[in-house]
Amino acid sequence: MHIPDGILPLSVTGSGYAATALTTWYSIRKIRQKEDPRQDIPKASLLTAAFFVASWIHIPVPPTSVHLVLNGLLGALLGYYAFPAILIGLFFQAIMFGHGGLTTLGVNAMIMGLPALIAHHIFRLRKWRNGDSQRKTGAFGFLSGVVATGISVAMFVIILLTNLPAEINVVSERAAIYALAIAHIPVIFIEGTVTALVTMFIRKVRSGILDGV
Amino acid sequence: MHKENNYIVFIIKLKWQSVIAAIAITMAFLFMPMEVHAHGVNINYTSNVEVEIIATYDSGTPMAGAQVAVYAPDDPTTPWLTGICDGEGRFSFTPDTARPGIWDVQVRLAGHGGMIHIPVGGDTTTADGQGGFSHLQIGIMSACVIWGSIGTALYFSKRRKT
Repeated sequence: MHIPDGILPLSVTGSGYAATALTTWYSIRKIRQKEDPRQDIPKASLLTAAFFVASWIHIPVPPTSVHLVLNGLLGALLGYYAFPAILIGLFFQAIMFGHGGLTTLGVNAMIMGLPALIAHHIFRLRKWRNGDSQRKTGAFGFLSGVVATGISVAMFVIILLTNLPAEINVVSERAAIYALAIAHIPVIFIEGTVTALVTMFIRKVRSGILDGV
Repeated sequence: MHKENNYIVFIIKLKWQSVIAAIAITMAFLFMPMEVHAHGVNINYTSNVEVEIIATYDSGTPMAGAQVAVYAPDDPTTPWLTGICDGEGRFSFTPDTARPGIWDVQVRLAGHGGMIHIPVGGDTTTADGQGGFSHLQIGIMSACVIWGSIGTALYFSKRRKT
């Protein structure tokens, strides 16, 4: 789901950077409004490492192979820290793994970071009415993972379909994009399950980690 | 002496016979069918270097059916050739050697892909292909990034305690 260099026109990559800059500014503003903004940095740092490594673990889904994104998990556990964490993780993925690219860093940050912020707000709903419980944490954790990855796939598909260059075989490329989107359906549910299991585990062993989100 | 004269006359006669024989053989060659000259060989050559690319994902899966666009050095915007990779991610083409320089080959499949730069002809000796890193290099670099993250986490968790 990382869009590499040379696929999108300059106008789209430029808009991606502008949107990413705006969202990063907003996220940092929200982080600074916290009582102790540094409190969650260790958590954000470790999850950045998890996000960075996740794209290297391939899951074979014929005819292609996919990888976990973990943006729903980051959104659920980190809140507004998730966006800068994903941005840093994407930067290292681009320069080290060749996943994505530096020109498309802004677009990729929006594809994966924006759904993470949506996942954060979904996960907060577990506290709605009578506070959270283990079951509600699992349910909203699952929903966070599913929705975040689902939106990421949808954004990836829409951005590609609306920017198909004229010199390629559009019909063939469109079919390949749809095939890739279908291959991500199992990933969406795996992401939901992973997010649910991790949030439930954390709530059980150290619920304090979830206090701030 | 008379005997010697007879001998010289015989040699002269023999030479005349040889000359006549040589003329006869030459005439025979001249009037032979022309097919004999077809054994002559005329070879011209044109140096065409075929370029074969193999496109795979970093997981090793071939990019079967990926679209390929080849760009000539003097026109980086309009594809000189387009095509499709086979089931093993292979695609071959013969660049026009009259257009030396760096030829760009872009491979694309479902929004994924990349570009490789192939030098053709002239003094373009620098190949700037997509080499990438080995698994060992990626492993070491990843370990550095992970350690950086853990170090950051430890640093800020310590600050919080003090």
